[in-house]
Amino acid sequence: MTGTTVLTQAAARLLLAPILVISVAVLVNGYAHVGDGFSAGVIAALGLLLQYLAFGREHSDRLLRLALAPAAAFVGLLGALAVALVPLARGDAILTHSPAPGTDAIYIGRVELITAVAFDVTVYVLVIGCVVGFVRTMIRTDEEANSR
Amino acid sequence: MAVAALWAGGGGSVDVPWAPVLDLRLELTLDGLGALYSLLAAGVGLAVFAYSARYLPLHLAHQGRHARDALLFYALLTLFMVSMIGLATAQDLILLFVFWDITAIASYFLIAFDRQEAASRWAALMALMVTGISAVALLIGALILYAEYGTFSLPLLFERMEAGTTVTVAAGLMAAAGLAKSAQAPLHFWLPRAMTAPTPVSAYLHSAAMVAAGVLLIGRLYPFVASSQLLLDCLLAIGALSIVVGGILALTRDDLKQVLAYSTISQYGYVVVMYGLGGAAGVVAASFYVIAHALAKSALFLTAGAVTEATGGERALTRLGGLARRLPLLAVASAIAVASVVALPLTAGFFGDELFFKAAVERGWPAAVAAVGAAALTFAYLARFWIGIFLGPLRSEAVNRLPALLVVPIAALAALLAVGGVWPGPIADLAGAAAESSLLAPASASVAYHLDLRAENLMALAAWALGATLVAAPVLWRAPALAFARLGERLGPERLYGKTLGALNRLSDRIHDIEVRDLRTRVAAVLLPGGILVALGFAATPTEGAYIAGAVTVDDLALVLVLTFVGAAAVAATRPRNQFVLVLTLAAVGFGLAAVYALAGAPDVALVAVLVETVVALLFLGAFALLPREALRREQTVAERPSRRWRDPLIATVSGLVVFVVVWGALSRPAPEASVAEDHIRLAESAHAKDVVTAIIADFRGLDTLGEVTVVAVALLGVAALLRRGRLA
Repeated sequence: MTGTTVLTQAAARLLLAPILVISVAVLVNGYAHVGDGFSAGVIAALGLLLQYLAFGREHSDRLLRLALAPAAAFVGLLGALAVALVPLARGDAILTHSPAPGTDAIYIGRVELITAVAFDVTVYVLVIGCVVGFVRTMIRTDEEANSR
Repeated sequence: MAVAALWAGGGGSVDVPWAPVLDLRLELTLDGLGALYSLLAAGVGLAVFAYSARYLPLHLAHQGRHARDALLFYALLTLFMVSMIGLATAQDLILLFVFWDITAIASYFLIAFDRQEAASRWAALMALMVTGISAVALLIGALILYAEYGTFSLPLLFERMEAGTTVTVAAGLMAAAGLAKSAQAPLHFWLPRAMTAPTPVSAYLHSAAMVAAGVLLIGRLYPFVASSQLLLDCLLAIGALSIVVGGILALTRDDLKQVLAYSTISQYGYVVVMYGLGGAAGVVAASFYVIAHALAKSALFLTAGAVTEATGGERALTRLGGLARRLPLLAVASAIAVASVVALPLTAGFFGDELFFKAAVERGWPAAVAAVGAAALTFAYLARFWIGIFLGPLRSEAVNRLPALLVVPIAALAALLAVGGVWPGPIADLAGAAAESSLLAPASASVAYHLDLRAENLMALAAWALGATLVAAPVLWRAPALAFARLGERLGPERLYGKTLGALNRLSDRIHDIEVRDLRTRVAAVLLPGGILVALGFAATPTEGAYIAGAVTVDDLALVLVLTFVGAAAVAATRPRNQFVLVLTLAAVGFGLAAVYALAGAPDVALVAVLVETVVALLFLGAFALLPREALRREQTVAERPSRRWRDPLIATVSGLVVFVVVWGALSRPAPEASVAEDHIRLAESAHAKDVVTAIIADFRGLDTLGEVTVVAVALLGVAALLRRGRLA
């Protein structure tokens, strides 16, 4: 990889964990504070893409299993569909969240255990998978063009 | 089996709300009409499945395809069968439309099952186009009725409807869809083409599914159709035309399946005519005829397949003959089927024609004469078909022994026809019940043999005699019939279809060429007309008080500064020639706007704007990196060509000014009524949310989010398909 310095690599390695922590924080705080699954997913994906920049695709893929990104996108999509469709089985409309409005929810710290948050988590997984997947597909195309 | 049991138990019905907001219900009822077509779909389907179990491996081996492809075939056939049963029992117009389209889609894949053949794909597309486009007429008709009577439910519509222009137009549109599906002239041409499908598919398509669906629809909507004498007369005319066209062309064809295909057009013409004759007699006759015809025609198609299999791929009548001695069981079984269609006594078909003649006589002598002529035509081409295969000198060199599974289903269908000829009670009951559902009044089919000189018997005798003459003396018809066929090929609707399709293709290519030649032109083509139209709209509205310039205070200083930066960045974005610089400049505009959101008290939006801006800039840079350098360099000079010097800035200025005026006007007038946003803010608390934006995304507008994330995931597939031929890893 040309143009990357030891400094970039050190920064990328040091920043990865904080970025992921921040993204999870944005995700779980989504219902009380600024941010939601989408923003959290993009933050995490940017952190992961930073590793591509610093260490190259192959190395990052090996270390972080990033080849699974497209799979993660579709796991997220299936999860979102599952959360959306489960209420149908109970006779409610699609995407009816529980517990119902007005009733009490269980709290773990600031996290509420409601299905809307589960839905947000699936969006989070999907967004990470898609953003990393888009860039990864481009990198792979470039690699193949250059190797020919 | 289950259908039969349910019907014997007095029918059943299911009624579940499906999409209550849209007033749609899953309303299925197994009434007489539903039972008739469900039984046909399931019964003939059973015979076709049994036959396919033996036929398909042979077929796939001929084509050099993997035996696993058979699974796909059975899955599609099952889908076809289930959607046909759904169609037969649906009591809701939208549901009817959905099943209608599922049959069209299933038939598309089944007709194109031999997908390596261009003719198969062309035929499948044609069938899909003709039946799919006409299906839109069905939808329009349904919507007209909904607009008038406020329901899609058929029983309710029948209660509420009043004869009049609205009902006539709606019924006419829906009947047109049915006629196209039943391959009635002039939209008949797709059916003979569809003969490229494997034989079991043709057998099913032409007897109990697809084509039958058309007349099923007419039967189902009969109360609407019957409210207008004009529509009934149209049915009569179209049916008669189909009988003649199908009959004459069937006489001229040499290919086994082609003869049968034109015969199907002609036979369904009979059914349409019977509906057109109107009254209880016609409807009862139509229902009876459908049963007898479906059984016989599927048997004949399976016979054609078996004969082709036995003679090693021979499909031409002129090169077949004398097979009766080698394949006696097949000869007898198909003879019964032929006898039933030409209505010889001791077959179920006899009663079908008896009812037909009776209905025609009730209408008057011109109808009666035409009926005799039609029956004679049928007699002629089917006798020619059977005699050509089974009698005369043996022309094939080697005749293979046929596996039992290729003959038994045909024999079983023939046995049903023969039993129906002696004991027509059950078929008559079913037809009577079906007619009751169409007429919404009690009806029964009374059939029996009468050994006297009543009109029906004399007409039948006349038809046989005339038909036999036609068979014996081909000189009488051969030249004119061939001339008619040639005329049809030269000027017929199929040619029109081909020309229209070709012209549409060329038009689409032309537009596509213009569109992809230059991105700037494409954007301009949207912006300029859009801008001018909106500007005209604004010119026509009063401007007094519409544009307010608010006061600027010291508190707004930060906002003004950021906005100035955004404006400067936007102007700067028009300058750079290098794409990379351009992307970064645009990103600067985006980040500036994010700051504006943050200052305006929308931190959620600001966060998303920053993130989206980053990702978009990244993706742009990635995409540019993939493009060839020369292409990028070429694009950089486009703006400096003399022809573009003034055009692009002018368009940008016009559309930019219009957008500015629109936004200004909108912001000058805060909506006085309570907006949705206030509801959202109020409801967020009870939805366990402190952050309204997240609550909107995940809860209030969750379905939108679901749709959006699906689009994102599909976009990933699209990128992979474009860049790496679908490989995601």
